[in-house]
Amino acid sequence: MDNLNNSLNPTVNEEINHLSSIDSNPKHESTSPFTEPEFQEKSDSRFKIENPKLSIQSLKAWFSGKLALKDINLEVKEKQITALIGPSGCGKTTLLRCINRMHDLTPNATADGRVILDDLNIYDKQSDPVLIRRRMGMVFQKPNPFPTMSIFDNVAAGLKLNGVKDKKLIKEIVYDSLQGAALWNEVKNDLDKPGISLSGGQQQRLCIARALAMQPEILLMDEPTSALDPIASSKIEELMTELKKHLTVIIVTHNMQQAARVSDYTAFMYLGELIEFGPTDQIFKNPKKELTERYISGKFG
Amino acid sequence: MGLTKVSSIVLDMAILAESTVTKAVTSYNDDDNSAKKQIFESSAKLRFLQDEVSELTIELIARFQPVATDLRFIKSCMELAYGFSRFGRYAYDIIMVLEILGPLEHCDKLPVMRMSKLVMEMMALGVAALRTRDNSNLGRIYEMEEMVDVLFRKNLRESSQLIRSNNYSDNRCNISTALILKYLERISDHACYIADSVKYIETGMASPRR
Repeated sequence: MDNLNNSLNPTVNEEINHLSSIDSNPKHESTSPFTEPEFQEKSDSRFKIENPKLSIQSLKAWFSGKLALKDINLEVKEKQITALIGPSGCGKTTLLRCINRMHDLTPNATADGRVILDDLNIYDKQSDPVLIRRRMGMVFQKPNPFPTMSIFDNVAAGLKLNGVKDKKLIKEIVYDSLQGAALWNEVKNDLDKPGISLSGGQQQRLCIARALAMQPEILLMDEPTSALDPIASSKIEELMTELKKHLTVIIVTHNMQQAARVSDYTAFMYLGELIEFGPTDQIFKNPKKELTERYISGKFG
Repeated sequence: MGLTKVSSIVLDMAILAESTVTKAVTSYNDDDNSAKKQIFESSAKLRFLQDEVSELTIELIARFQPVATDLRFIKSCMELAYGFSRFGRYAYDIIMVLEILGPLEHCDKLPVMRMSKLVMEMMALGVAALRTRDNSNLGRIYEMEEMVDVLFRKNLRESSQLIRSNNYSDNRCNISTALILKYLERISDHACYIADSVKYIETGMASPRR
């Protein structure tokens, strides 16, 4: 390197001297970006949410003695959308149904663990499943409006079943819920028509309005667009981003692009286990687990 | 299949870009601009291939909506193709210096040759890392880029003094040296961007702006 050290400018000579060790002694100090810990991070550390709305702790679920969920630990952030993804049979829907204790309703199904909603463990013996389900609305894969009821009555049904008798209040909540479900403009002149007279996408939004009428804190959505065309699906996705301003959404989806588009956090499940959980951006751009990478890239599942 | 095709084009570009720059530097050293047409054609081909990579990657995104490593690979291929097309352009710029300011047989070619040795090693390291997807030597490229920058500033200052002492008369040597050093310095920057892209494919971590 000596032959380089012949500049007319002393500052340049200093620079050259400073760099002259490069040829003979490759650096292995932390100045190299490759030695920074962040570049080596492929750790198994569990992603944590601060002050979660819902905290699932050591949750296990069985069907007729067969283990379907294996020690799930997951936290859900308030007013954000969390997507549950994974191949068929991995336990996504079971997890969703455990969250509002609908799993209890399946014959021979049992669950163990803690699901903390704010400060309430919903699996405490004192917890009332009906009250819990009121705080957590659910929307299913296929739109399921009550077939004999009008659009208005579909939305009002839950309120009436829960003993709300004030007609003015019911009307207010129904109108608000239809607006909240982005359906109002399409049905405001047809509230007496049967719910099943609507298109598939409208029926699904009617079901969302029906859930919203109970003013839930969490909305659980089990593949809510799988039976809908792209336009109707797009409306539901837009609606979800509106809904998260007011409530927390957990969605099960088989559509990777949908999970990537709408969710803030994504949990990948496989064979009843939670494999990876993190911000959606990270899961889809740089998953930490090989299994996640292979699944979201369509290499299995 | 689409990814394999993009990968194959980018690797072809890497080989062509490397050989085009080598040809331009050799032409300068030999004071022989007979390779000008060939370098121009290679530069044009690199530009054409860059467009092809761009089209293909957009198509892959639209049709397959790739994620994770595939997505990072596609993004990096766009950057890599641009980098290699710039190599071609700078090679052409180097031969044009010889065409416009030459003959330069009486010039001191050591500054250019010294820097070109570093730059070509950087290119070779970047291309090898891309081919093998091995990050282990990328740090060396960043270190060499710092050296190239230092050499560039040093030689520019020296040229400036020489021009002054030369009473601003025949300065073809100084001007040609300064221009070629600048092109080499740009190639070295692009070699770093190539290193960044290889690293991004493997780690998902973006490199800080230099």
